[in-house]
Amino acid sequence: MKYKDYYAILGLERGATEDAIKKAYRRLARKYHPDVSKEANAEEKFKEVAEAYQTLKDADKRKAYDALGSHAAGQEFEPPPDWQQQWAPRGGQQSGARSGGQRAGGQSPGGQGGESAFSSDGFEGLDLSDLFERLRGGAGGGSGRGGARVSMPGQDYEIAVPITIADAYGGTEIDLDLNMPEYDAQGQVRRVPHAFKARIPRGATDGQRLRVPGKGGKGFNGGRNGDLYLNISLRPHALYRATGHDLYLDLPLAPWEAVLGTSVEVPTPGGAVRLKIPAGTQAGQHLRLPARGLPRPKGEPGDLYAVVLIVVPSVLDEAQRALYRQLQETSTFEPRAHFSEEGSYAS
Amino acid sequence: MRVELTEMIWFEEHVVTLSELGELTGLPEATLAELVSCGAIEPIETAGGEPVGEPRFGASALVAARHARRLREDFELDTQALPLVLGLLDRIDALEQQLRSLRARSPGRRSLP
Repeated sequence: MKYKDYYAILGLERGATEDAIKKAYRRLARKYHPDVSKEANAEEKFKEVAEAYQTLKDADKRKAYDALGSHAAGQEFEPPPDWQQQWAPRGGQQSGARSGGQRAGGQSPGGQGGESAFSSDGFEGLDLSDLFERLRGGAGGGSGRGGARVSMPGQDYEIAVPITIADAYGGTEIDLDLNMPEYDAQGQVRRVPHAFKARIPRGATDGQRLRVPGKGGKGFNGGRNGDLYLNISLRPHALYRATGHDLYLDLPLAPWEAVLGTSVEVPTPGGAVRLKIPAGTQAGQHLRLPARGLPRPKGEPGDLYAVVLIVVPSVLDEAQRALYRQLQETSTFEPRAHFSEEGSYAS
Repeated sequence: MRVELTEMIWFEEHVVTLSELGELTGLPEATLAELVSCGAIEPIETAGGEPVGEPRFGASALVAARHARRLREDFELDTQALPLVLGLLDRIDALEQQLRSLRARSPGRRSLP
């Protein structure tokens, strides 16, 4: 089992007062709570902070934690036997034969064995937080208080799923690799690696959420399984910018193309299409290609908009320069006519 | 690796009752009812405007209720502060969406040839 320094996580000394622990938690929760934080790794940081607080705010758990001694964070360690004697919950039956094989179902003959709830290999694959979870009286903790077991719903999990525009267009499969606490027949919690593929259907876009029922943490003692929540975000794309299911694409035009009109090939997720550029197209204009955006789960796909940019060549040869001069001399076009009427207040 | 094809539900496809919302989020029904009565969580409007039977809740309610559950636990927020925070989060969400949409509309900063 890896040691975690709960005091260091909260930025505290080991002797910190209860009040200081609460204050430190509040400060860090403000900073890292995934609902209010914009920090990149907020979710992960908050989990650490919450776990540290859960243990240290409870006087008994804190004593038990302190009794583990001080180790370097991340160091492999095992609680010494006398710690197990004193703190480990008792009564979870460890005696070999598993009767029936069914889930605990409340009929655990808890309390009869004086043995520690941890078997000899008890700490392998165990997270430090699970250890303290077991110290929690009653609910799901395997504390062996006779029939006092309560059914508990499994935990919900929320994961950020960044996908590409191509994934959103065609749907995609993602590999999920979750390490979830699961309760075994003895009501003991263990980390169970759970890897599976999940299909993100066509029609996902930025900010959309999916619920995967029953794929969160396992419920305990008849409690329903938790759900998995996927928060979809779109990775930036070299050409397209997405808002909802609409896509925007910059369309650079040469001045003569915009003035005279033309027909150009533009990329769309479903393949290139020809787009007619009317004569007199202005910079900033949005040319709409209906239903060429991202598909929706139901209904018409979004649109694709080509945003016109007028770009000018930075290198001209003499002949071209002469043509522009000629245009300058013959044109009566006044692009800033409206400047003369408004905007200056000096008399 | 086990390959499972799992059923997924878009948030938008959720139409649930208050008690189902409580089951999904782990919030007590009384708290949810309070959040509904102060407008922090809103039921889906029925087409005719007239409520038909039990109110139903959709995606936005599910998002708000999930936030409420976490904020209540992690910050010990009471039912006074909860609607306030939910309202602000909602506004931030709307503003961010607007910003995203404006960014998408305006030409990119990519250097042009």
